[in-house]
Amino acid sequence: MRAMQIERFRIAQFGPRLGTRMEGEQAREQLIALLRSLPEDGQVRISMEGIDVLSTSFADELIGRTLHQLMIGEFGARTMILETPALDLADGIDVKLAQRQMAMLCLSDDSWHLIGAHTPAMTETLGLIIDKGTTTAKELAAELGLQMNACVNRVARLAKLHLIRREQIGMSGPQAIYSLHSILKS
Amino acid sequence: MNQLTIETIDQVIEWITIDKLDRLDLTNIRFVDPYALLILHLIILEREEEGRPIEVAWPQAASVNRWMMAMGIVAGNSHNSAPASKNRESTLQPITRIENESGIGHVVDGFHHRLAERYPLTESSRRGLVAVMIELFQNIPHHSNATGTVADPHGIAAMQDYEDSIFLAVADKGIGLSTSLGLRNGYGGLSDAGALDVVFHQGVSRFDDPGRGGELQRIADLIRSWDGVFALRTGRALYYFDSRGGDVYDVPNFPGVQLGLRLPRRVLT
Repeated sequence: MRAMQIERFRIAQFGPRLGTRMEGEQAREQLIALLRSLPEDGQVRISMEGIDVLSTSFADELIGRTLHQLMIGEFGARTMILETPALDLADGIDVKLAQRQMAMLCLSDDSWHLIGAHTPAMTETLGLIIDKGTTTAKELAAELGLQMNACVNRVARLAKLHLIRREQIGMSGPQAIYSLHSILKS
Repeated sequence: MNQLTIETIDQVIEWITIDKLDRLDLTNIRFVDPYALLILHLIILEREEEGRPIEVAWPQAASVNRWMMAMGIVAGNSHNSAPASKNRESTLQPITRIENESGIGHVVDGFHHRLAERYPLTESSRRGLVAVMIELFQNIPHHSNATGTVADPHGIAAMQDYEDSIFLAVADKGIGLSTSLGLRNGYGGLSDAGALDVVFHQGVSRFDDPGRGGELQRIADLIRSWDGVFALRTGRALYYFDSRGGDVYDVPNFPGVQLGLRLPRRVLT
């Protein structure tokens, strides 16, 4: 399996204190161009290194709207992850993603966090997938002590948010069988 | 009256807009806060635009007079936003004009620079304040002339520090919250108090995009958590709270939106 292509998008290239919706909109055009330049399974890591203040408006224009486009399938199976030197810098993004009922993986201090709208069940399931790297819904259901349907629903939500990668590996009756992959794995 | 503040400026609005006075006597005024200063500035501007300028008897107290001049209100030239040079050291941020979104970064940088020059703010409060300014200032181009009907659409902002607090004020005389919200389906016909209610309790804005709205609500929550004073006035309604609580109050009508925040220095520095 070839390695996933990962590119970094430094928000600080637009300045240390951001900003208005107009500034966010201009930055979004560049983020989208970078996403489109990647292979179908590529990943953009949005870095907050060098950022002093990021307003909720800028965050929504740059990340909220782009993530929405990602969720509705405009960028194929590509993924986005936030990287921040301090979690509180991402507060504005957290607020806006929650408002849009979306969630995103955020890396800070060598650990991952889920920001935006999420539940303990989502975090638990995602954590297990990240720990395993690759797994299946059947394995997860067994480890989490869940009915298969409940587990499939959790996984479907994570896949819809592009928080994991899902690959069809067969059929079981009318139901597709997927292998599930962490997007933190390169 | 010897003070022009959040608590007293509505009396001045009543004299000018309801009692139709052509002369404003401020001679006994010994203190003016930035919120009242901006509203006074807009009142004078409004009447000048109507071709019925108000005759103002300016405060006799030299310190107040100098401060008002340094903040950008000059007798006989009230709309001059350029700060006078006198007593500059006592002013924190004179009245600054906000016209469009592209200039906001520059204005925020200016406010931030003035604040940082004078105070070693904590990182989190400094970031919080800058983010608040960005959101408040950009509300002016986003909402104050959303109908495109306002002549010379712009807003003004100013900031002053006191022994125990920092005071930020932002004001415009645009279309106001209820007209702005009325552009959105399902929110037409709201009273001013009704508009304040949906903005502060439901986080609604004139845009139906789910990512829009909620900023004023979050700013109010932040100010509450800092034990500050919050006043937002639109049309005939004022939403006011301080550390003891607050409510929506009826006030004399004035166009646009005017906001004042008084933040205790002990939580910022």
